[in-house]
Amino acid sequence: MNLQVIYCNHQTASLDIRERLAFTGEEQLADAYTQLRDRFPNSEAVVLSTCNRVELYTAQENAAAAPTHDELAGFLSNFHGVPVEEFLGDLLQHSGAEAVGHLFRVCSSIDSMVLGEPQIVSQVKEAYRQAEANEACGPLTNALFQCAIRVSKRVRSETRLAEGRVSIASVAVGEFARGIFDRFDDKTVLVIGAGEMAEETLQYLQDDGVRDVLVVNRNPERARELAAKWGGDGFGMDRLEGLLPGADVVVAATGADQPIVDVEMFARVRDGQRDRPVFVLDLGAPRDVAPEVSGLDDNVFLYDVDDLQETCERNRKSRSQEIVRALSIIENESDRFMQDVYHRATGPIVKRLREQWSDVSQKEMDRLRSKLSHLGDADIDQVEQTVNRIVNKLLHPPLEALRDEARDGTPHGLLDALSRLFHIRD
Amino acid sequence: MADVTIFCFFASYTVAFALDVLRLKRPKRSTWMVSVGIAAAGFVAHTLFLLNAADKGREELLPPLLSSSQDWTLVLAWLVVGFHLFLTCCDRALSLGVFLFPLVLGLIGSSYFLADEPSQLLNAAESARRGWTMLHVSSLAVGSAGVLAGIVLSLMYLLQHRRLRQKGRSATGLKLPSLERLSRMNWWSVMVSVPLLTVGMGTGLVLLLSGSTEGRELSLGDPVVIINGISWLGLIGLFGWMLLTPRATGKQVAWRTLLACGFLLVTVVGLNVLASHSPGFSEHASVSSLGANGDPVETGGPS
Repeated sequence: MNLQVIYCNHQTASLDIRERLAFTGEEQLADAYTQLRDRFPNSEAVVLSTCNRVELYTAQENAAAAPTHDELAGFLSNFHGVPVEEFLGDLLQHSGAEAVGHLFRVCSSIDSMVLGEPQIVSQVKEAYRQAEANEACGPLTNALFQCAIRVSKRVRSETRLAEGRVSIASVAVGEFARGIFDRFDDKTVLVIGAGEMAEETLQYLQDDGVRDVLVVNRNPERARELAAKWGGDGFGMDRLEGLLPGADVVVAATGADQPIVDVEMFARVRDGQRDRPVFVLDLGAPRDVAPEVSGLDDNVFLYDVDDLQETCERNRKSRSQEIVRALSIIENESDRFMQDVYHRATGPIVKRLREQWSDVSQKEMDRLRSKLSHLGDADIDQVEQTVNRIVNKLLHPPLEALRDEARDGTPHGLLDALSRLFHIRD
Repeated sequence: MADVTIFCFFASYTVAFALDVLRLKRPKRSTWMVSVGIAAAGFVAHTLFLLNAADKGREELLPPLLSSSQDWTLVLAWLVVGFHLFLTCCDRALSLGVFLFPLVLGLIGSSYFLADEPSQLLNAAESARRGWTMLHVSSLAVGSAGVLAGIVLSLMYLLQHRRLRQKGRSATGLKLPSLERLSRMNWWSVMVSVPLLTVGMGTGLVLLLSGSTEGRELSLGDPVVIINGISWLGLIGLFGWMLLTPRATGKQVAWRTLLACGFLLVTVVGLNVLASHSPGFSEHASVSSLGANGDPVETGGPS
């Protein structure tokens, strides 16, 4: 099996790099898959792009068709128009079993900034769905991603990783918003974007007592839908600047590729109300709020996903026992997946061997029937069952040996020997 | 009970402070319990010591607890520790001890250098003035506790503000209330303490002007009066500014409170220490109104 992943994440690359390499929106992804197919026609591909990571999985039956690290980096560079040297040092690569283990860790949130966060599973599912929709998946990536989703479910049910504060939004609200505000029932929350992240942050804020919710979104209808869910009002993006001055908490979580709130806009908003603290949480990657906004005055508290890293690290250390248990499950599942993959590689030989021996036994049974016509159907059935048992018993040792060999990798030598011994041809 | 010395509770508070600092690195429930236990033991010893002092005061027909400079400082420290224990028991996560214990230890440490003899202002012979005297010293003590609270709350505000602006990259393990709450508490500490200090100063002046201190004359040009007057004016300025500037930022309020209250605290404690050690200076200090617990020349000296 030839499976590779190249990736950069919150541990290897800064948000500046990640946001430049991110794939935002279905159109851009579709374009990416088209270009991937053109460049690597024999490869399956899945792109996973979230605020914390950009990962590109490729797989192919034939090792010779596997794209190299430089070729994949070159694709990212060309696609995003970012010179390779600017991010090559931040780009890591795994292949084979390591790549499988990596995806399992990602999907189980071991690799996430916030340990145990549930969003990553839906993000992996969505990435897989997009790849399927763009016909970029194949047997290997199908098996891999389906298995990864199953493993993440097992990790969540068998460990306590998903207990406590397990999302970026909850960490941001718990660690920082509560450090600024004593209560939220008298605060106005403005949410920019109407996606899953925005909704989840609203959930935490409402748990803290928020009542006054405003949502702005490119699609006003979607904004109104989300706002109605939380008893608020929804607007189109054109109302953003007018609504910002009244907001105490601003949560930005859109898929935009440029900052929606720039310094000039925010400076106008802050004019005359610099005495009033404002908590701005930017969950976008690329960022939705220009980082320079933070320097406008002392009462602007702006946080982006990278700013939450230290807090998340403390969270991670406090659950180190659970990480050990989760890693043990992942290692076990990775081994099983790899054995299945290797075993699958022996499938065609085993199938042909069985078919060949079955043909031989069937022919011998037909000859026997014509010679011993006096035998009844019951007697013929008995003989046929005996012959089948003999065939199975004779096949058992070579197939068992094949299965044993397949535990550590595709048993090319044994497959070759079996083909030659039993005259199995493609 | 009579064997309780200042060192007993000073040592307890020092250990509690060290444990609170340790909690910043290793926030364990057991450390919190030991720290609160030791602080509570110190508080009990502190209370017993003050009750002893009050008994002594009664023998000499003096107002309890506030009869000398040393008593006054120790009562102030006692109020602060009581405040700390109350808040810490309400919210275990709060890192209040790291801010309050240095002040408490500073006050108790400075009390070593203050006289423990009764003040002439509290002359027992003047029974008609006792009510005024008690009002004077009590309002000064509670007002000063408010000033201490203002200092601590401002420090906490500035630290929390810095932590939040630096995205939590500093002060790891330090759990502080929200900026909104700190700002509100700071505002109230100034609003309560300034009028109380003003009452204390006013009654002090009345007591002095009524002329009972064996022929001493009050001079408005006296350096002690001037220094205390400036401190008080600083607080009045802060008080007025806070009332008239509702749109001031929390950080501005915290800095101004810290400067005004810090200056007042250093001035009051400094003048009292000087008064206890310098016979010439103590004469001035004894007629100061903020340092109304100033001691007579004859009795000055470390306890």
